[in-house]
Amino acid sequence: MSAVTAFLANRWVRLGVFGVVLVVLGVLPLIADPFTNQTIARIAVFAVAVLGLNIVMGYTGQVSLGQIFFVGVGAYCAAIPIRAWWGTDVYTWSIVIGLVLAIVVPGVIGLLVALAAARLRGLAIAMITIALPIIGVPLAKRFSDLTGGNEGLSVRRLPYGEGDAAGVGNPFAAPAGSGLANDQWQYYLVLLIAIIVFVLAYFLVRGRYGRAFAIVRENEAVAASMGISPYRYKVLSFTIAAVFGGIAGFLYIVALQYTSSETLSFGHSIELVIATIVGGAGSIVGSILGGAFYVLIPQITNALQLSDYTLVAQGVIILLVLFLLPGGLASLPRTIRRLARRRRGAHSVDAGDPAGSASVTTQHQVPTSKERNT
Amino acid sequence: MKTTLSGRRALAVAASVGAIALVLAGCARGETPPADGGETSGAVEPSPGITDTTLTLGISTPLTGGTAGPGNCTVDGAAAYFGTKNAEGGITFGDGKTREIEILKYDDEYNPEKSAANFQQMVADGVFAAGLGLGTPTNRSWREAAIDEGVPQVLVMTGDPIFSEREPGVMTLGLVPVYMQEGAAFGEALVADGQPHQVAVLYQNDDYGQGYVQGFKDSIADASQITIVKELSYEPSAQSLEGQMTELAATGADVLFHAVSVTPLAIADLQKAAALGWTPIWFLPSNTASPGGILTPAGVTADTYPGVYAAGFAEAAAAPPFAESPEGQAYFEAIAEYGSAGQDGKSFPHCVWSWIGAQILEQAFMKMTEPTRESFYEALTSITDFDAQFSFGPIDTTIDGSPAVQTVVLQKFNGAGYANVDVVG
Repeated sequence: MSAVTAFLANRWVRLGVFGVVLVVLGVLPLIADPFTNQTIARIAVFAVAVLGLNIVMGYTGQVSLGQIFFVGVGAYCAAIPIRAWWGTDVYTWSIVIGLVLAIVVPGVIGLLVALAAARLRGLAIAMITIALPIIGVPLAKRFSDLTGGNEGLSVRRLPYGEGDAAGVGNPFAAPAGSGLANDQWQYYLVLLIAIIVFVLAYFLVRGRYGRAFAIVRENEAVAASMGISPYRYKVLSFTIAAVFGGIAGFLYIVALQYTSSETLSFGHSIELVIATIVGGAGSIVGSILGGAFYVLIPQITNALQLSDYTLVAQGVIILLVLFLLPGGLASLPRTIRRLARRRRGAHSVDAGDPAGSASVTTQHQVPTSKERNT
Repeated sequence: MKTTLSGRRALAVAASVGAIALVLAGCARGETPPADGGETSGAVEPSPGITDTTLTLGISTPLTGGTAGPGNCTVDGAAAYFGTKNAEGGITFGDGKTREIEILKYDDEYNPEKSAANFQQMVADGVFAAGLGLGTPTNRSWREAAIDEGVPQVLVMTGDPIFSEREPGVMTLGLVPVYMQEGAAFGEALVADGQPHQVAVLYQNDDYGQGYVQGFKDSIADASQITIVKELSYEPSAQSLEGQMTELAATGADVLFHAVSVTPLAIADLQKAAALGWTPIWFLPSNTASPGGILTPAGVTADTYPGVYAAGFAEAAAAPPFAESPEGQAYFEAIAEYGSAGQDGKSFPHCVWSWIGAQILEQAFMKMTEPTRESFYEALTSITDFDAQFSFGPIDTTIDGSPAVQTVVLQKFNGAGYANVDVVG
């Protein structure tokens, strides 16, 4: 076991694993059927949303129930300019404008909300963030000229019947000459942006900010005594979560090309929180697993024609994770390692495993000595 | 020495990564060859989801969550109808072959993102056609995708008129009358009364409520004796409409046009008006007019108000005459046999609507001469004068802009159920 851990701790091996994963992800869509590509793209969309939530919940320890609001706003920010300008002179730029707006607008809203919310602690913050999806749906319906209201907004334009249509077609169709199918093109676009976001998040939580977030999570008074302003770092983590949510909204439009007021509804926000906990709070890999949980469980129950039991299946998994893996699915290897070590410890006195435990603490910046209460 | 070593390691990593890339790239996705080969000339290439013995139908609808009750009904009605037909040996299609109908159901939780994903799954599962699903955003989210893929999206249960627009290359069709038709049915009956009326309007501020109000206003546009004295709206997330009801009661209007889709709000409003001593004539939309689900819980009897009217297009399974008719008995037996567990077939009208939709699909199956989606859609949109069980009027699918079911009948509450009427008053 320790040999494996030591092997995995090697920087080159880890870089190699990352490279192999990248290559597999890069080549896979060329082989896989369209539905697999679409599924992976959707997992990436929600993995980014869950990652944002993880920054604020897992790493900084603040409960946010409003993440879906930022996803929904990001989706509108992407869809509205693309729909308005697709086919005009600025058509390729409309996608870039959509992406920029999907980052800036949710970020600014997140910052403003956080400036107020981060003055509070614990459940009070959760209460403030609940307000976002609750006002989001009626707000989107009220401005239905812009958002399409309940009927929603599709960025695909059909070649008839829509008099205001500037351009016709699917803005996220594969460009002519690329030799790719639409599902492959969308896959690459979503994965490229998602991987950039994940790499940024990886360096963020491992660096100075990540350590500051962890201290704020463990004890705000200690943080303040060390010269780390809990308020400032809570605002920062909220804003980053909002930006990631907005990017997930843009990716949502790339993958599905449609959004509506229903996207913002409160229930989906809770589903994201659950996905974060099931995947693993305070874990980058956990965010991916959370996205996979969000997308795959309904898909599997559909495939088995047992979709009436989707909620039951999700509930069972949530309970199992909470009881057996409080650190989420991402903590499974860690739990197995600990169990193996405990068993070995029973047989020999040599229970201490310096290499192994050292790698555990470097692998996860946060202390693993005690189970984190997420 | 160190740099050389790490340089060599980097090279090794890059080499192994490159090798894996080459291996994976070797097995690129095989493109399906175009179906214009010489051997199939003469015979038509069948669409996906249809064989000589089966046809697969996909339904994406809310099976869990807040809308699960009506959502499960949209599957169960069709499952019951086709289950019975399959047990009898199947349906004889227009091309002479007898096929059984398989239904694949997909849960969308009334979440447009899930229904769009469900459509991708339906394409992967190779369904022939999709439809009968409930909800405006959940059907809208994959409309363009379905048109692009050439998958018929038919008999959807939404009052959104866009699905009934006929355009070349577009294979969509709505099942239920659009909201405007219901509002218009009440307006016309009110005009036919000939008496002056003062109308108070309360509507949900979305396409649903606005559609009802639009239909109503259009129908009374030329009638000067009818005036709208006050219009108030609410957001669908509202918890109480007491404020609106009090304000409308103060106008003393003798008619209340009540375009409210939320069950608890409708019950509370019916109680509130009585408590305020305001007794207008009521108009209720078809989905909040159920005697058992709305009026009885609200304590409304035949004498509470001068009249409670609703627009309907299908017989109510909860009404006693329905269960006594042979068709009704066959319907309940089929629901019990083929419906989902716990389905009684009468708590929500959508079960009967789905049963009607299945009959319309059967008509199209019997008329389609080729095993293709195009032939199916052509057959589906050329049905005229078809008397479907439990439908109030003949089905005509040939009219541009109209869904399959068009006959909307105004009904008056008589204390137990509804009776059809032509004139208000």
